[in-house]
Amino acid sequence: MIRKKILLLGDFAVGKTSLIKRYVDNTFDDSYLTTIGVKISKKLLILNDIECELLIWDVEGATPTKSIPHSYFKGASGAIFVCDVNRSETIESLNEHINTFLMLNQDAKHVIAYNKSDLLNTQQKEALHLPGNAFLTSAKSDSNVEALFTTLVKEMLL
Amino acid sequence: MRNIQIILNAILSKNIFEYILVDRELNVISASDGVEKYLDGSPKEGEDILDYLPELVGSEDEIKTIFVKKYCLYSLESVHKNEYYVNITVEYCDQNTAIVLLHNITAVTLSKQKLLQYSNESTLLYNTLQKVVDNQNALLFVSNQDEEIEFANQKFIDYFNAKDLNELKEKKLKLYRYFDDKLKGYSELYQYVNTDEDHITIGDDTFIVQATHIEATHKLFTLSKVTDIYKKKKSLEVEIQIDPLTQTYRKSYFDAEVKKELGYDKKFAIVVLDIDDFKVVNDTYGHPIGDIVLKEFTTLIKQNLRRDDLVARWGGEEFLILLKNMDDDNAIAKVEELRKIIDEYTFSHTKHITASFGLTCAHSSDDVNSLLHRADEALYKAKTDGKNRVRLKKA
Repeated sequence: MIRKKILLLGDFAVGKTSLIKRYVDNTFDDSYLTTIGVKISKKLLILNDIECELLIWDVEGATPTKSIPHSYFKGASGAIFVCDVNRSETIESLNEHINTFLMLNQDAKHVIAYNKSDLLNTQQKEALHLPGNAFLTSAKSDSNVEALFTTLVKEMLL
Repeated sequence: MRNIQIILNAILSKNIFEYILVDRELNVISASDGVEKYLDGSPKEGEDILDYLPELVGSEDEIKTIFVKKYCLYSLESVHKNEYYVNITVEYCDQNTAIVLLHNITAVTLSKQKLLQYSNESTLLYNTLQKVVDNQNALLFVSNQDEEIEFANQKFIDYFNAKDLNELKEKKLKLYRYFDDKLKGYSELYQYVNTDEDHITIGDDTFIVQATHIEATHKLFTLSKVTDIYKKKKSLEVEIQIDPLTQTYRKSYFDAEVKKELGYDKKFAIVVLDIDDFKVVNDTYGHPIGDIVLKEFTTLIKQNLRRDDLVARWGGEEFLILLKNMDDDNAIAKVEELRKIIDEYTFSHTKHITASFGLTCAHSSDDVNSLLHRADEALYKAKTDGKNRVRLKKA
């Protein structure tokens, strides 16, 4: 069995913890409890006959006054960058998160989650232009969460 | 090893630190009794430390350099383990042993979390409110006790060509000056807006302004752009003051303008003029032709006046002119010039008509009626003296 470390990174209150809870436990809680520090969840999966224990780091969100400690980034094979599709400032800060992470993990893979898509109507969803490695996700309505993680893991195991 | 164990036990008795000793391959050598509460199970000798601390996965090589460098410290802060928060550090002990220390920081981290939660929720609320005010159609700003702009919405910042609020503050915009040069600050502007003027013109734009106290020291000003409505209103106001046949102003508008001029304490003249024998034109050519003559006549007069001067129709074939910034001599020269132009002009139907002019200049004791009365007397004199002439009546 191989172990792979992935991180969920992004601004605060974009739904990183909820995405992990949906993926690992298939649960969802609407209340907001801010994450402090880091919490690791495990998920065992088999892809292409490869048994992989995914170590998912739920990292404290970045705030205007506090960035994410770089020590968390060490040894990561991949990252999911999360933004709240309803808060433009969280979309705007994606590039900064991605650049910082890739500077420290040049070989790591990444995908992007435009989360909380359940709050958009059909027209708003259609008007969005997402990059190729991005998913319109909703932890609440369990939309694209599995695809988000699986795509990243497949990329990492290539 | 025994010494280390003794020291560690002394530290661990305070229930703040737990430890796991690992070998060069990161396999467990031994662990303190209390370590179990942070981990999923109790680490046994020979087991892989990564099975208990997956937080170290990916950093194995970095941790193993501890045995080479002998001083290197691996550290990971605020890790959520079960119901606890711990700092994990890995430190060199001897050539075959490293110590993994788990420092319980739960109490302080939970306090930090409460503060962070409050701060994040406040930021979310602030951002939402910011979006609400930014999306208002009006320009909003708040002034403070130092008579400076402390807050402004995006529309306000954009309107005054600033990049952001800080740049706007640096501009030290004295918006109150747009209202009245005499105003010294936003407190005075607040009084001004709430007692007198309710609109402001900046460049080509007109705004309705409202001001509210939001704190004892802070005032909220709302500038709602009404340029189009205001222009339309002004245009309608002017439109209803225009005589439809001659496109000159009505007498009521003329009176109001004369009243304004009297308030400015400047020199000006008014003229009453009447087309000579206009009844003959109507009787000879009919009223439709008479109307065409009136139009030609007023067009000719307007073409030969300055832009600031004003022509109004008093009734029938009688007109009024307001000549701004003129004394007796200038005014009589100008009106004489007008008389000549009319006398020499070839009208389309009647060919030749003349007009008589009564002129007077304003005096400090004048009002609209006294001026009109005097000018009318001068006109009467022009008529009785033989028509087609200018007569001045001094105050």
